[in-house]
Amino acid sequence: MTLTLDSLDILQGEPDWLGERRRGALATYERLPMPSKTDEEWRRTDISGLNPTLFSELEHKNGFKLDALSSLPRGVILEPLRVAAEKHPQLVEPLLFSLIKADRDRFSALHAAFFTGGTFLYVPDGVEIVEPIVGQHTSHEGGTALLPHTLIVAGRGARFHYLDEYIGRDDEPAAYRSGSAEIFVGEGAEVGYVAVQKWGRNAWHFADQRARLEKDARLRLFNVTLGAQFSKTRVEASLVGQGSDAELKAIYFASGKQFFDFHTLQDHQVGNTRSDLLFKGALQDTARTVYAGLIRIEKGAARSDAYQANRNLVLSDHAKATSIPMLEIDNNDVRCTHGATVGPVDPQSMFYLQSRGIPAPTAKRMIVQGFFGDVLDRIPFEHARNLIEADLEARLG
Amino acid sequence: MATVPKVDVGTDYKEKYGFFVPEDYIFKAKRGLNPEIVKEISWMKKEPEWMLKFRLRSLEMFRKKPMPTWGADLSVIDFENIFYYLKASDKQSTSWEDLPPDIKKTYDRLGVPEAERKFLAGVSAQYESEVVYHSLHEELSKKGVIFTDTDSALRDHPELFKEYFGTVIPPADNKFAALNSAVWSGGSFIYVPKGVRVDIPLQAYFRINAENMGQFERTLIICDEGSFVHYIEGCTAPIYTTDSLHSAVVEIIVKKGARCRYTTIQNWSTNVFNLVTKRALAYADATMEWVDGNLGSQITMKYPSVYLMEPGAKGDVLSVAFAGKGQHQDAGGKMIHVAPNTTSTITSKSISKGGGRTSYRGHIKMYPGANNSKSFVKCDALLLDDESRSDTYPYNDVDAENVTLGHEATVSKVSDEQLFYLMSRGITRNEAETMIVNGFIEPFTKELPLEYAVELNRLIQLEMEGSVG
Repeated sequence: MTLTLDSLDILQGEPDWLGERRRGALATYERLPMPSKTDEEWRRTDISGLNPTLFSELEHKNGFKLDALSSLPRGVILEPLRVAAEKHPQLVEPLLFSLIKADRDRFSALHAAFFTGGTFLYVPDGVEIVEPIVGQHTSHEGGTALLPHTLIVAGRGARFHYLDEYIGRDDEPAAYRSGSAEIFVGEGAEVGYVAVQKWGRNAWHFADQRARLEKDARLRLFNVTLGAQFSKTRVEASLVGQGSDAELKAIYFASGKQFFDFHTLQDHQVGNTRSDLLFKGALQDTARTVYAGLIRIEKGAARSDAYQANRNLVLSDHAKATSIPMLEIDNNDVRCTHGATVGPVDPQSMFYLQSRGIPAPTAKRMIVQGFFGDVLDRIPFEHARNLIEADLEARLG
Repeated sequence: MATVPKVDVGTDYKEKYGFFVPEDYIFKAKRGLNPEIVKEISWMKKEPEWMLKFRLRSLEMFRKKPMPTWGADLSVIDFENIFYYLKASDKQSTSWEDLPPDIKKTYDRLGVPEAERKFLAGVSAQYESEVVYHSLHEELSKKGVIFTDTDSALRDHPELFKEYFGTVIPPADNKFAALNSAVWSGGSFIYVPKGVRVDIPLQAYFRINAENMGQFERTLIICDEGSFVHYIEGCTAPIYTTDSLHSAVVEIIVKKGARCRYTTIQNWSTNVFNLVTKRALAYADATMEWVDGNLGSQITMKYPSVYLMEPGAKGDVLSVAFAGKGQHQDAGGKMIHVAPNTTSTITSKSISKGGGRTSYRGHIKMYPGANNSKSFVKCDALLLDDESRSDTYPYNDVDAENVTLGHEATVSKVSDEQLFYLMSRGITRNEAETMIVNGFIEPFTKELPLEYAVELNRLIQLEMEGSVG
């Protein structure tokens, strides 16, 4: 059995427009070719071992665990996405898959056709939620497809934090996973979004995150990638309102035979906008990572300020990191800086620590901790910070 | 209010530098590209059979290869509307006095400095498609250095020539390398024997002087073990209205412990398509340095590269690009680390103005086994107005172990603080901007011999002033 139109029948009880969209996305999936090594984005990303339609069993058909707060402020909507599609079509229909288009590639199409779990969060104008909202997506078995989609809408001046946690067991058989998020940040709103990817080590993970920032909006988006054998994440922020500010940060730790791919876009469509990207990763064993990022400053986007950095700490001789930071600048009145580094642990730092009587493994660990230190400080909220620090600690052993 | 007289240097460019001398060619090939033309070129040059075969084979490869689909738009090039070979005079001159008067006049207008004529060992000046003026300093000959045009080298040093020609950049490398291999003409050939240091830079002037005429020079430099040479290629070209194509191939072999520096100042007129393949092989402990300045042309696509073949090899690219109105400078560098313990640096400085576009495009490749290698890339871009554009496309492929790779880039405008400071000292805005731009490319200019640095500063000044008003 493969993922086909019939698989969609399982997803019953959805409004017609959604069913229509799923069928459209499935047709797109069937029409699009598999990305090949001749596509620039996939040149360094090998998916020859994957046939996503083999993972025909869909998980989370009936939603997932949502850590709902006991009392949400008035007007806030927090529902599993499929429930929200039924109950609030006027909010969901125009926005769902409007930032992440189904026809971008085969995996986006597949995700749009078969997404199951995921949250819809709507925070009305002026509302502030102090406690973070946590969505936990836990896979229960291997061999399945689990494709959660998060849709977040922040009204004017809304303020809140959201955490998506993707969890699976390392001993699960191969599986197909995604974890995408569309984030609409309204005028003057402040949103913190954290995604922690800890799928099992045999999973294939494809995620698209895209945010749209209106005037004076602020987004702090943080990714942590630790799981899956193959993980491809696209992080994109469109700055469409003056004074908007996007902070895109990530840490990743790849070990064993893991392969992580990150493609980022900082799209400054108007002026007086700011974006700050920092992706930091450590690699061990025979792991490989690819980072490719683009800052695009469009013609009228004067007085924009964009920063992009990717730092890779290569802990073993056989791990490989590729880093491709790109710029396309169409306006002169800007400040753009980017940087990328790939390198081993500095032998001088090692020597210094060891000369103080610290054994080599401990010294190495301290250096890695220090390496991640500055970016860990940028995790938007306490709850996520504690969680990530604990996860990282566990990985460092 | 007093009016400041407007000095618009851009407008008298044509009078000052846009001269051309009436065409008076001994042989003029027909336009277009076909095996007959290629055979004719080879016959005119009285080449050996193997070269004719090489050319014909290359032509076929050119036909088969697709146009690059990335970078600049090259679809407007009409390969059938180009002269592939021209020869201005039959015989090679040996001294300045013997040069045909027309050609001499051209160089006088260009302002080849008196000092250079006197002191520089060999001025190999290319007028049209062939080197016509060539004099080799006795001292160089004594040391065993060969500095000649590539056509003569094929005739006079066939063994050496055949051993290296086409080994660094085979015709199949890319479409334009294939084209050059089919119709090449002129260029320089340098051989520096073991342990010989050539203290004075060797120079050649290239010029395009016929409408719709392509220049397909071919340069081959061999630095034998422990030797050193600095070669300078500089060019200015007259203004013409129809598109011209310049597609050179430069091959360099730097053997063990040797060092080679290749300096270019490219200032083709803004209708020239400048599509050049430059590559060097650096062996054990050898150093290859490309110093590459691109000011002119409509479109330049040029990525000087170094293959670091053996441990200890070092590669260096220093690139400056200036794109004004209607120009696209797609330049950068490539470092291919094949052996362990190799190092490379690429420094790129680009300036865009008046709607011009500069792109840095680079590639760092570290093959499996190129362990403990280091590479650092730095790109700075300056945008002088809001019509211009700057891109950075650094590609990095690392398959080696324990390597260090760094990339840094900045894009900015001329800072208001700097302008304010200079203008508060009574310097006009234009002068201040020019000073800032000259300061910006200083790391490049200071690597140039004095007369080139002066020339470059003057060119920048012209480019900057041209925009005012």
